[in-house]
Amino acid sequence: MKLNRIFLLITLSFFLFAGCEEGFLDNPAPTSSVSSSVVFSSKAGVESFISGIHRRARAQFTDTHNGGLYSMYYTRDVKANDILTKATWFLWDYDHTYRAPTYGRTKFSWEFPYYMINQANIGIKGLNESTGLAESEKNELMAQFLGLRGFYYFQLALEFNHHPTYDPTAKAPPIYTEPATDSKPMSTITELFTQIKKDLSDASTMASSSRINKTYLNKNVIEGFKARVHLYLREYAEAEASAAAARSGFSVVNSEYGDGFNDMSMSEVIWAMAQSTDQSNYYYIAPHVFSDHENGPYQGTFFNNDFVQLFSETDSRNTFYHYYSTNTSNWFAWVTSKFTFAFDSDMIMMRAPEMMLIEAEAKARQAKYTEATTLLETLQTTRDASAVSSGNTGQDLIDEIMVERRKELYCELGVEWFDAKRMRTGINRTGNHRVFLDLEPDDKRFILCIPQSEIDANEFIDDSINTARL
Amino acid sequence: MKIKFIQIVTLAFLAVFQVALAQQTVSGTVTDADGLPLPGATVVVKGTSTATSADFDGNYTIAAANGNVLVVSYVGYNAAEVTVNGATANVSLSSSTALDEVVVVGYGSLDKKSLVHAVETVDSEELEKIQATSITQALQGTVSGVTVLTTGGVPGADQTIRIRGIGSINASASPLIIVDGAIWAGGLNSIPQEQVESISVLKDASAAIYGSRGANGVIIVNTKKGKKNSKGTFTFSTNHGSQSEAVDIHKVLDTDTFSKYFFEAVTNNNQYVLGDSNADARAKAAASFVEDLGYNPYGTGSTSPIDSDGNLIGAPLWNTNWYNALVNQNPRRVDHNITYLGGSEKTNYFFGVNYLHQEGQVKTTWFDRFSLRSNIDTEVTDKFSMGLTMSFNNTVSNTPNQAGSGFSNVIQWIYTLPSYYPLYERNPDGSFVLDAAGNKVYDYGSRAGLVNGSRTILTDENAAGALDYYKFENNSYNFNASSYMNYKISDKLNFKTTLVYGRDSFDGFSYVHYLYGYASSVGGRVSQDRNIVTTVSSNQQFSYSDSFGKSSINIDAIYENYALKVSSVGAQGVGFLPNVTVLNGSTTPEGVSGAVSEERLESFITRLRYNYAEKYFFEGSYRRDGSTRFAKDVRWGDFFSLAGSWVVSNEDFFDVDGIDFLKLRYSYGEVGNNRGIGYFPYMQLFSTGWNNLENTGVLSQGVVDPMLSWEKTAISNLGLEFNLLDDKISGSLDYYTRESIDLIYDKPLAISTGNASITTNVGSIKNSGVELTLNANNVIDKENLKLDLGFNITTNENEITELTQEEFINGTKKWMVGKSLYHWFIREWAGVDPADGYGMWYKDILDAEGNPTGERETTKEYGEATRYYIDDKTSLPKYTGGFNANLTYKNFDFSTLVYFSLGSYQYDSEYAGLMGGFERNEQGHPDLARRWQKPGDITDVPLLLNASNDFNATSTRFLYKNDWARVKAITIGYNFSDEVNNKLKTESFRIFLQGDNLFTITGHDGIDPEQTLSGTTNARSSLMRTISLGLNIKL
Repeated sequence: MKLNRIFLLITLSFFLFAGCEEGFLDNPAPTSSVSSSVVFSSKAGVESFISGIHRRARAQFTDTHNGGLYSMYYTRDVKANDILTKATWFLWDYDHTYRAPTYGRTKFSWEFPYYMINQANIGIKGLNESTGLAESEKNELMAQFLGLRGFYYFQLALEFNHHPTYDPTAKAPPIYTEPATDSKPMSTITELFTQIKKDLSDASTMASSSRINKTYLNKNVIEGFKARVHLYLREYAEAEASAAAARSGFSVVNSEYGDGFNDMSMSEVIWAMAQSTDQSNYYYIAPHVFSDHENGPYQGTFFNNDFVQLFSETDSRNTFYHYYSTNTSNWFAWVTSKFTFAFDSDMIMMRAPEMMLIEAEAKARQAKYTEATTLLETLQTTRDASAVSSGNTGQDLIDEIMVERRKELYCELGVEWFDAKRMRTGINRTGNHRVFLDLEPDDKRFILCIPQSEIDANEFIDDSINTARL
Repeated sequence: MKIKFIQIVTLAFLAVFQVALAQQTVSGTVTDADGLPLPGATVVVKGTSTATSADFDGNYTIAAANGNVLVVSYVGYNAAEVTVNGATANVSLSSSTALDEVVVVGYGSLDKKSLVHAVETVDSEELEKIQATSITQALQGTVSGVTVLTTGGVPGADQTIRIRGIGSINASASPLIIVDGAIWAGGLNSIPQEQVESISVLKDASAAIYGSRGANGVIIVNTKKGKKNSKGTFTFSTNHGSQSEAVDIHKVLDTDTFSKYFFEAVTNNNQYVLGDSNADARAKAAASFVEDLGYNPYGTGSTSPIDSDGNLIGAPLWNTNWYNALVNQNPRRVDHNITYLGGSEKTNYFFGVNYLHQEGQVKTTWFDRFSLRSNIDTEVTDKFSMGLTMSFNNTVSNTPNQAGSGFSNVIQWIYTLPSYYPLYERNPDGSFVLDAAGNKVYDYGSRAGLVNGSRTILTDENAAGALDYYKFENNSYNFNASSYMNYKISDKLNFKTTLVYGRDSFDGFSYVHYLYGYASSVGGRVSQDRNIVTTVSSNQQFSYSDSFGKSSINIDAIYENYALKVSSVGAQGVGFLPNVTVLNGSTTPEGVSGAVSEERLESFITRLRYNYAEKYFFEGSYRRDGSTRFAKDVRWGDFFSLAGSWVVSNEDFFDVDGIDFLKLRYSYGEVGNNRGIGYFPYMQLFSTGWNNLENTGVLSQGVVDPMLSWEKTAISNLGLEFNLLDDKISGSLDYYTRESIDLIYDKPLAISTGNASITTNVGSIKNSGVELTLNANNVIDKENLKLDLGFNITTNENEITELTQEEFINGTKKWMVGKSLYHWFIREWAGVDPADGYGMWYKDILDAEGNPTGERETTKEYGEATRYYIDDKTSLPKYTGGFNANLTYKNFDFSTLVYFSLGSYQYDSEYAGLMGGFERNEQGHPDLARRWQKPGDITDVPLLLNASNDFNATSTRFLYKNDWARVKAITIGYNFSDEVNNKLKTESFRIFLQGDNLFTITGHDGIDPEQTLSGTTNARSSLMRTISLGLNIKL
């Protein structure tokens, strides 16, 4: 009797709290993450991965001036002559002092593209190994990963190297074409551009013309990437063809110009990063948060009086006005109403007019002056009803197109800096700047140092890599 | 030979004869002075080999004749002799020395004499000496080998605790916390000190009984219980305190000085960077003065208030004292307690209730605690007993941002925003802007208009406004219940089953104002997060104890399992009407989140204890753990310990005058660590939540090691315990080593791989050191005057013994084999060049192959400067320890506790920020008066320069020796005499004055020496000095 009760107590205790549950240790499983097999077993799965990558690119990566692709673009803007910034975020880029191995800009401009490249490599590998997808689906998805990889390698080439014509054997960022944990040595700028062109060309072959929305990569966007790369490499025939392909199907509706550049449904938008109130990067979005003095907190972006004077009164791109001072010798005389800041502002990453101008310039540089003039004037008269033809040909026409690029694309993707790098012209600050400085052609301030954290962890790279960069 | 044989035979005959004729069964109970049974006490019939041991209730039976003498002994008690006279012989033993102390260890308790491990205990008496909002504060300076750091001044914040050095890099290096036998998942700030009986620290291999989680030591907290057969005692205590900063914070500049210095910084930029002539540079600096700063406190609108010679035109209209605007001038601390404890013959009980209100340095910072507990044990029958421990704790706090670099961090604000900027909005002429109701309006620095409208720094924020308008209220509800049933199967075998249920609900709420501050553009924001943490664990324990002759043995076999579930939801919305601060009022939802995480652990534990003649003690334990944090194949781990001790003073041959007690002990064990690494660190997964508009989005997580497993630590301890000079001096000396191998380590990867690191088992760290504790008891022992003193000191050597790569730079430290985790590795400041006022650092001169030649030179390019180990300076102290004294004089009592820390170095980034020299338009330190001003000036403060520069970048310029000592507590009490007590019908009545953190001696001003293990600062609010008056009444 007594023994029975003890036995019962003991058995019950064990039964209740212990052995009863089969696989006590096997049951818990992650609830807010999914495995690779789920991602790569269906088109929807892979698309969710691509969605995640696009979201990451527009989120908050490090800090307000190292937030995402948008901050890389705005950095290029403040480094040149048309735009100036007050002493707020990006001020060190404006001063050209934010480029040493230990600095945030240096690390971000390296880490962020490589982060995206790794995600693309995971996608490429996953797709190659996936068995559940039709060939056409695979191609459409593969094009997006390859397009992203080519695009981000191009960003690295722009940030960390001079133009390939400066030194075709210059050491360039390492190339990874599959997910890796082992580091690789520096490549050369020639090898890097070979990779970029191969990725984009493969992507273009496989790309679909349709897509979920304008935040995703389709054939137009990939051709747009190619157009930029070819223009940069001075491969004008290819640039012309790609630019034409990129803008095919897009029109310029000038009445949308004044709407604040914060809505990807604008007809001329080819590629964008869209936000919504519940998917916002809050106060990170550049240039909107800095250039919108009436809604944004930073009031950072101002314009060079010399640049403002390039616009006619009737040009719809003349968005400049005096907010603090009418004295145009003050650096804070001009602000813009081009961008409207809100938590759900979209970031416009590529527009048809950019492609028109690439096409026009490429034609002009191939001496197809009439065709180039037609394209240029189409844009000019769309923007300004009272625009008159300049009648320029030859180098004058090319120069006019280069100016038109600045007028059309200011504060969007660092056009002036991009053009100075590709034409190796240097940048001279003029007008009412706050900090005056001149960048010689191929000035080392056009490139960043290799980040110290890479040097510390990469067995193939040592401090000497920065000797010529510092 | 023959004779001897006959003697033996005769003796044997006599013995048998005696047994045959006179023997009877004698029984009785062995208890201590309080009547509590002493299970396992040894009873021997003097002069014979007849012996037995008492059962769990202290009962024994033995065969003995009337007139025989029974010798009753128990470890830690004075042996007693009783002469048999009848069938009953109850024995009460008096405790021998401090060795009678019962020490709580893993899964049980032991008398101190039997202890084979390095375990130290802080009891309730010591706890009373300080005002510990979080009870682990009591360990600082009282327990050797334990590092306790209070990081920042948020009342009730948990401490950083490390036992015997830092044994882990990326996994948790904190000790495991056990409260009343179960793992504690909540914060320790929810347990009031008045409800705690003891805190035990398992420092060595004794932690092996906790297996996979014991590698960093274990802290065991036991709450109070009543004693059986004791009168119910009601205790009421109350304590009212007033607080101030324990250490004054850095001084800052006033408006005039700021204006002058700023002018100089702009002039220098114009002249030395932009290349203007000195005259032009000055003229331009004066002309751009208002534009550069955006404000003009001198009332001259856009006209510069400073001329080209740097002269100000008059007195400023404001000189904002941000410190006064943001810091609580007299934060209070109030603590009320009621406890009731006692016991009847079969039941003992404890009941406690606590209310605490404590305010912090930063205005609107407060912490409230309400705590309720009852512990009851009862004997249902002789063999069956049960008990229940239950507690409910609620903590509520409002904690505005007071650490880190966020805009609204109050401390950062004081150090960043010059007094040049106004607290309230000003018109261009300097007059106040008033709202419709005629009230002043906080200035957020983001209005249109050039003068007195738009700041260049910390725009859209005002820290005083943030304190007024934002709310950061955290509510934590913690419920814990533990119940057990105990059944004595036989005198030697016992079974106990325990079930523990814990539930911690956390509710974090924040409201950011609809009209002012960083959410004004969206009409305010409310965020609310709720986490529910549920833990269930059960424990089945068989215990067997027996003795054979002089040997006694104790065996435990335990099966235990543990399950943790964390369920969280969060929501965020924007767009609120005035005075609406709940999510219901949100016009636009901004986000929702929710997740469930689980963890489980299954364990088999066994332990054997053996003792021979109370001279030789041996203990061995083995534990096998299975954890869900690792993949199935590597899930199970084996952990063990072996330990022994030799009480030399109990040997017959030992007879040394002045040595009353001497024990040598040694232990070795292998323990694990699986904490602080997330729930499924071995799975390569894609995280959800990266949605792109209406499309679901996932993103690949960083690379993982699928075979990730335990971090293992081998712990050894050699110790000596002694009592000298009639127990006047007691103490212990320990030498320990802890080598952690297969560290769970975030091995850095080249960031070009797209992964910053991979978490894997590599590397090892060794900690070793010596701990000395000395107590002088009754240094003065007169009728009216008694004095006890105590002292302890610890050394710790931290050394990396294996790494995957030659070296790894981690922030301001470089990890390399042979160095510690905390050796500073930064650039070395080479002073200021008298020629141009620029800062310089050292750099190695390299040979043709790029290797250092050993020579070095100075450079003005920070990026070029070489980083060095700075003379082996580390952020870890070489010596830490404490001193305490207790004095009673007549009815007065006095106690003090001092903590000291020697040999560490601290990097003061707040001071570095203040010494920035106006690189940005930020506040400065009065030490800038020593700046370089003209060629030839010899100083260590560079020129002021309103352009980007590295003068205050991380280097030895701001690395300070951090030797410090703090008088943690001084208490002076008065106990009313028995007469008074008789009149008041109280048992005791005490009033006391208590001072915490009264004095702090440091080598560097402006910052509390207690920051972080890594020696870095983070603009944290200050630890408080508290002076309180208290009352303690027992009825």
